[in-house]
Amino acid sequence: MVKRIKVGMASCGIAAGAGEVKDKILEMNPDAEVVEVGCIGHCHAEPLVEIETEEGSYLYQEVEPEEEFIDKILNLEDYSRFVSPANRESKEKLYVTELAGKINPVSIEEYEDNGGYSALKKALEMEPDQIVEEVKTSGLRGRGGGGFPTGLKWSFLAGKDDKDKVLICNADEGDPGAFMDRSTMESLPHQLLEGMLIGAYATGANRMFIYCRAEYPLAVKNLNIAIKQLEEAGYNYINGADIKITVKEGAGAFVCGEETALIHSLEGKRGTPRFRPPYPTDYGYKGRPSMINNVETLANIPLIIRDGGEKYSQIGTENSTGTKLFALAGDLEYSGLVEVPMGITIGEVVYDIGGAEDGTVKAVQIGGPSGGCIPEEHFDTPIDYDSLTKLGAIMGSGGLIVISKGRCMVETARYFLEFTTKESCGKCTFCRIGTKRMLETLERITGGEGSHEDVQLLGDLGKKIIKGSLCGLGQTAPKPVLSTLNFFENEYLDHVDEGYCAAMECKALVDVYLDQETCIECGQCIKVCPVDAISDDFVVDNGICTRCNSCIEVCPVDAISRVKREEE
Amino acid sequence: MSEITITIDGQELSAKPGQTVLEVAKENKIDIPTLCHDNRVGINTSCFVCVVKDENTGNWLPSCSNPVQDGMNITASGHEADDMRQTALNLLLSEHSGDCEAPCTISCPAHAKVEEYVRAGREGDHWLALDIIKQRIPLPISIGRVCPRFCEKDCRRNVKEDAVAINDFKRLAADLHYDEYMEDMEELTDKKVAIIGAGPAGLATAYFLRIEGIGSVLFDRLPEPGGMLRYGIPEYRLPKDLLDKEIDHFNKMGGIEFKCNQKLGTDIELFDLKEEYDAVVVAVGSWKSSSMRTEGEELAYNGIEYLEDIAHDGWQAKRDPGETLVVGGGNTAMDCVRTSLRLTDEKVSCLYRRTEKEMPAEQIEIDEAREEGCDFQFLTQPISLREKDNGRLVLECIKMELGEPDASGRRRPIPIEGSEFEVEADTVIAAIGQKTIAPEGVPTNQWGDVDVNENNCQADESIFAAGDCVSGPATVVEAVAGGRRAALGIKAYLAGEEYNPEYQINVSRGYWQSLNEDELVYLKEPEDKERVEQSLIELSERISTFKEVSYTFTEEEIVQEGKRCFECSCTAKTDCKLKEHSEDFGADPEYFKENVKLDHSYNIEHPQIIMDPGKCIKCGICIKICNEVVNEYLLGFKNRGYETKIGTAFGEPLPVNCEECGECIEACPVGALDWKIKKLEEMQ
Repeated sequence: MVKRIKVGMASCGIAAGAGEVKDKILEMNPDAEVVEVGCIGHCHAEPLVEIETEEGSYLYQEVEPEEEFIDKILNLEDYSRFVSPANRESKEKLYVTELAGKINPVSIEEYEDNGGYSALKKALEMEPDQIVEEVKTSGLRGRGGGGFPTGLKWSFLAGKDDKDKVLICNADEGDPGAFMDRSTMESLPHQLLEGMLIGAYATGANRMFIYCRAEYPLAVKNLNIAIKQLEEAGYNYINGADIKITVKEGAGAFVCGEETALIHSLEGKRGTPRFRPPYPTDYGYKGRPSMINNVETLANIPLIIRDGGEKYSQIGTENSTGTKLFALAGDLEYSGLVEVPMGITIGEVVYDIGGAEDGTVKAVQIGGPSGGCIPEEHFDTPIDYDSLTKLGAIMGSGGLIVISKGRCMVETARYFLEFTTKESCGKCTFCRIGTKRMLETLERITGGEGSHEDVQLLGDLGKKIIKGSLCGLGQTAPKPVLSTLNFFENEYLDHVDEGYCAAMECKALVDVYLDQETCIECGQCIKVCPVDAISDDFVVDNGICTRCNSCIEVCPVDAISRVKREEE
Repeated sequence: MSEITITIDGQELSAKPGQTVLEVAKENKIDIPTLCHDNRVGINTSCFVCVVKDENTGNWLPSCSNPVQDGMNITASGHEADDMRQTALNLLLSEHSGDCEAPCTISCPAHAKVEEYVRAGREGDHWLALDIIKQRIPLPISIGRVCPRFCEKDCRRNVKEDAVAINDFKRLAADLHYDEYMEDMEELTDKKVAIIGAGPAGLATAYFLRIEGIGSVLFDRLPEPGGMLRYGIPEYRLPKDLLDKEIDHFNKMGGIEFKCNQKLGTDIELFDLKEEYDAVVVAVGSWKSSSMRTEGEELAYNGIEYLEDIAHDGWQAKRDPGETLVVGGGNTAMDCVRTSLRLTDEKVSCLYRRTEKEMPAEQIEIDEAREEGCDFQFLTQPISLREKDNGRLVLECIKMELGEPDASGRRRPIPIEGSEFEVEADTVIAAIGQKTIAPEGVPTNQWGDVDVNENNCQADESIFAAGDCVSGPATVVEAVAGGRRAALGIKAYLAGEEYNPEYQINVSRGYWQSLNEDELVYLKEPEDKERVEQSLIELSERISTFKEVSYTFTEEEIVQEGKRCFECSCTAKTDCKLKEHSEDFGADPEYFKENVKLDHSYNIEHPQIIMDPGKCIKCGICIKICNEVVNEYLLGFKNRGYETKIGTAFGEPLPVNCEECGECIEACPVGALDWKIKKLEEMQ
């Protein structure tokens, strides 16, 4: 007997067609209740539908909005059942995201039924400084990238005597390929808000903001519903007054994830950073002491209070406690959101959880455009703040991109630098102009026009940009270039010395070659070529060819490939 | 609060809490460069030229923003700091567009401040114009007449019509005030320099030495000083009474002595001069004619010998050369042609082996020679010369055609087989180039010219050299520029130092050929205005006498012509902090290649103020000044990252009453916001 039908309706599910699936199910008028839930992390398998029965739950993947398909799953047939990749279960630790995808995100009752707001109730019976101590004991460090001890930050704000203090949740997740915070806000808005309320009680903050990018409409919507619900339930009555919680939508500037720029933006000013000190806990939003915590950090708080700091600190490693959310993407089998205990190795995440094929991976990029690459030979490195920093990468907010051997590291560095160059606010000379000049240099190299001096210039200028920038954006922007230069200098030198891109990715350095021995003259390549670069006798004119790869993809016998460009 | 102690560059200093590192450094006379800092407004943090190193953390900090902390140990100078600052400046220069100097001033070999003397002329202050000219050009009467006008070739007015007639400003200023003008000079010291050759380079060296308080003796092999000015340049281009007046001024300056009819190797010896004087300058010019390499060439005159002979005769028609053939296409050939035309009624021809396009002579010389009746025979090469019994000369020639370009970029002439022909004449003059004969004991290069250190013109110990004998045959203005370098080189040498020219940067929008009208920046919208042309004497007088061909511009003509100047140089060129720091730290506008420059849009709608965003370094100090000091909100940032701009709302012009304030202009470290008026007194 089907009790409930749960459709994964976070952004990833909606993008994969979960909306149509849900409509179809409703149209078929099943006896059971249909509810929207968040994301369970398996983005590769969306849309996901869970059928709850008296006997247990059954999960179905890649559900199509077809009556026939849905009939089968409603009858619990053994059809398109979701099977979690074999090793993933054993390596993952669902702690912060335990409830994600299992409950209706915008039902306060469901959250409460699963233990929600009990941590807040428990906290309110403790002394504020006891809570700060508990967070200190837990060893929790900021999940936004910097890794600053959260308890210590809380104690700074708590130590301020000011009447008005502000708690800000930084939800301006902007790295390409990162979606941990979005998923958390969409799937578990109450858990985040509970963490914030505990923080307000512990630090004496009497005003709360969530600064969320406007590109996350579902997160904003769910948060606003959840805020209304908790206000109705009276959970925001803290320290003798109702605390106002406002979701503020950012206009899309990456740098507004930097705390001083975020505050400027919140105040309605141009989103540019300023020199610290003074730190926001001394002089923040409208001059009031303000504390900025990241979404994931705050979502950890209810668990620390529930389980106690001591128990929390058992998870992970000595200096990096707890779990970490990663957005897995790139050249691997199972992309999606994963939660792993700190201390797990990079290799375990890439191969066991991500299902990447052995021997195909060259490196991972951790920390997005602010991070660095880590080559395969270092995959036994444990994921913790200090080990990653030692290798020139950073924990960052949790973007983890797998780079296969078929990708060019120079092009990868160029891609990330293009992002940061675009996102520079323009305040500091080194970042505003320096990143642009580095990008032009990289474009020369990938375009086959680079020289040895260019490679040298990248290293030299990159280091100076790090030294001569005010905020984290400029201080980290050159990292993808410097770390690829460090681990893959040979690829740079191949480009400038030999005009050779080993990965055959840089268009200016490759020709397309059709091997007539292998060719069966089916003519599909000629048909698909958008610029008529292939002649009737199957010769590619590389002067016309745009290296779009259409012919390579369509060829049934793999007769066409990219080869090193012939010298003219 | 109590005092705290910090260390800057090893100096222990006391500071007050709340002060920035920069403030403490300034208080203690430690110089930290900055572009975007202004005491009147809050912390800005943009340019990062003021970076210093916090030795305790190893971090680099903008000293303008960083509050002092007790025990701080700051390094504010040294190689690493200089390197960071140089990079910051290189980056700023890489997106900085504008013209530190006007292209005319840059292209003048002597770097005379052209835009400034043109402006003074336009304002009617010819004394000031002469004063500006004489900073670099000690022979304005001559150069005002004979200069090939490098400046005009690069004049941006060429984009619209023709160049401003720049050289005529020099000529008028010199004609009006040369006599009464006297320069400020250092008092004479006991040092004395021997100068061999009283031509343009020698005269210029003597002049600039004298300005610095160093006397000299000019030796010359010819009876009167002036060198090529007197014996090479014909009277009709430079009347010798004017040259006398120009040289007489050197006598008035005191401390400059002329010794003529003194031939090196006969009357004087380099070795003796070296012993007797504190330094010796070789300025002997390039007087040896190149060979035609044809049989019988001894029957022909050498171009400069021909001119020298006539000069000795006082540029009078004592002798009729009869039918004349001049071989060559340079300025000396034109001088020979035009001189001959004045001496004879017979036909005067010019034979050149390429075409008119390839002729090295100035176009105006070619045009005027043609007007005066020269018969040009192009693509013609002499093969041999012989004398007939009747004394007439027969020049055998061959016709040429042009082939592929040679090393000079000009198309190589190739003889056409079987096209030989003969021409008869009474006089044949070979004017195909000159060479240097360097005195013995002076180092020379592969071309036989004197080999010197480019910076200070030093050839060997106390021997210096300048002019044509260093560069090969060139122009008067180039000789004068060399003379100045030699004088400064000698001054440093006599003080026991080595002269190195100051490092100067020049940001440029580019040559006019690569620009169109919209890409220029005007202080006021230019009117269409044709160039004022020189008036010439009657043609009949030109071909029968040696009277000066052209008239000096009138003062009215100069005013008219001055209005055509675009005033290309930066309004902030005397107080640009970016330029100043870039020169101090050796930054280079060309350091980063292939820069994508931003657009050149500018706004001159305000009657007094120009906004030129291409120059802006986006520090935002103007915005802060307007907000925090003036309490207005007229300026703001637009766009982000590399596209960041500063401007007014909707690009509107600034309100007219901004001219009563101007605080933003005073604060702008570059010329992005500036007064449009370039004041006369700022020019010197």
